[in-house]
Amino acid sequence: MKKLVVTMLLVAATATTAHAGLRVVGKGDAMRLDPTSFPPAMKANYEIVRVKCVKCHTLERTIVAIQTGVAPISGQPFDRNATKAYGIKMLRKPDSNMNKAEVKASVELMNYLLTEAEK
Amino acid sequence: MFLKKQTAAVMFLLGISCAPLLAPGTANAIPAFSRQHKTECSTCHTIYPELNEFGDAFLKNGYVYPHKKEGAKGGAQGAEPGNEWSVISGLPQQLPVSLTASADLAYDEDAADGNKLDLSTRSITLQAGGSFRDLFGFFATYNLYSQGMQRASSLLNPANNTNVPPGNDPDLDELFLVWRQAFGSPVNVKVGRFEPKLSMWKKSNRILPVPSYASTTYRVGLSPFSSDATEDGVELNALLGNRLFVAAGVVDRNGQDREDGYGHISLKIGGTDLKGKEPEVDLEKDSVWDFLSVTLGGFGYWGQNGEFNANGVAQNLNNFRRIGAEADILYQRLHLKGSGSFGRDSNPEFASFDAVVDSKAYTLEGEYYLGAPVNLVPLFRYEYLNAGYGTIKRLTPAIAYSPLQNVRMSVEYTHSIAPEGTGNIAFASIAFSL
Repeated sequence: MKKLVVTMLLVAATATTAHAGLRVVGKGDAMRLDPTSFPPAMKANYEIVRVKCVKCHTLERTIVAIQTGVAPISGQPFDRNATKAYGIKMLRKPDSNMNKAEVKASVELMNYLLTEAEK
Repeated sequence: MFLKKQTAAVMFLLGISCAPLLAPGTANAIPAFSRQHKTECSTCHTIYPELNEFGDAFLKNGYVYPHKKEGAKGGAQGAEPGNEWSVISGLPQQLPVSLTASADLAYDEDAADGNKLDLSTRSITLQAGGSFRDLFGFFATYNLYSQGMQRASSLLNPANNTNVPPGNDPDLDELFLVWRQAFGSPVNVKVGRFEPKLSMWKKSNRILPVPSYASTTYRVGLSPFSSDATEDGVELNALLGNRLFVAAGVVDRNGQDREDGYGHISLKIGGTDLKGKEPEVDLEKDSVWDFLSVTLGGFGYWGQNGEFNANGVAQNLNNFRRIGAEADILYQRLHLKGSGSFGRDSNPEFASFDAVVDSKAYTLEGEYYLGAPVNLVPLFRYEYLNAGYGTIKRLTPAIAYSPLQNVRMSVEYTHSIAPEGTGNIAFASIAFSL
């Protein structure tokens, strides 16, 4: 009986991990991430992304890219190289209003989310 | 008599040189691209129609999204169920058409007809652009309607300049096809009616399309040629090493059996490369090259024109050439542009006896993007022009504002200093694309 309970607990724990992924709230243009389970540093980074990135595009685009591993517009792989390239692209956009520290925080968040999405 | 003729010539030249002040220009930012790629206008534009670095790469890539995976093959592999017809036929899934409209207000304290304030200037332009299976790019602009403004079609001898056969409607501004990377080579073949690649910037690739830069729009004597006029031709262009762009072409001018020729070369140092790839930036350390990009360019044009006789044959020919150099410097929110052009016309008056005229023009422009939360761009432009009949200088402070990405408002003021006196024109414009 004891073995059965332990086994069931292990299965339940595994199932929970398998469905962890990204916790997403809302749909379409209103799509957001649920940052409650983020580490404190990533929560701060998410605030930057939530405020700055939506000037030009919805968070749905970022979330879909992370979930699928493919940038939805270019069709290019969305991996750690891509997150930095997109960050630099936004940094160099004259009207993006993002400084280097904010871009660095955004790239770190996207890399963290990629790791989480792979779990 | 001579003095009267010379004065008339100067007045004519001044009129021609100032004509762009009242012309709306053609805004070639087209929402068709935005719809096709499901992305915002700011992907390619700062304040439309001016292109940003990525937009320039999109243009040079023949209207195909830069570094798209495997080009045409990628499109076929990525076809969604139900869209096979589009992939097989090569047709875009939606009609790639856009409209741009503008309404302007001009105040000219020296208006010849006494009508200093003019609000009856407006235009609507139809545009189309896109690609067929990433193998061909295409672009077209057609002036549907304009009122109360001078345009190329209302200037004297437009057919000579824009290379439209006499009697035809010159409102088709551009219509061309680009065969991308022909035969697997890096060479793109452009055929049709287009602005020959001389300047680094298309005439519409500016925050303020009006007035257009003196260095690329000036005319000499009665010759209607300007280096930014659209013409019928064939052009080969290529990206070499991701940062060098070269172009060369021939123009088939009506009324004569000799073709014009031109060439362009530009090199970009720093910044996003010409294929849209971002530079390597260290997010931990600062470097001046994080934000700095410098593009240097040069061009040359050799051609011949004349006035048509009754048979439509050019006579009293004028051999002309233009040599130019340009620089584009972008550092964070500051954008500087410099353009200079030298020219020689053997007979710009189309007279029986040649009278050579040397010409030169410079334009310097500085823009500063204030960026979020207010998409406001103050700019200042200085222009110098001597087309053989005295020096004209123009000083233009302006401000442009884009409350939405497809709406642009601008206010500008131009102070002109010419041999026969000074002039002041204030110009307000609102334009939108859909």
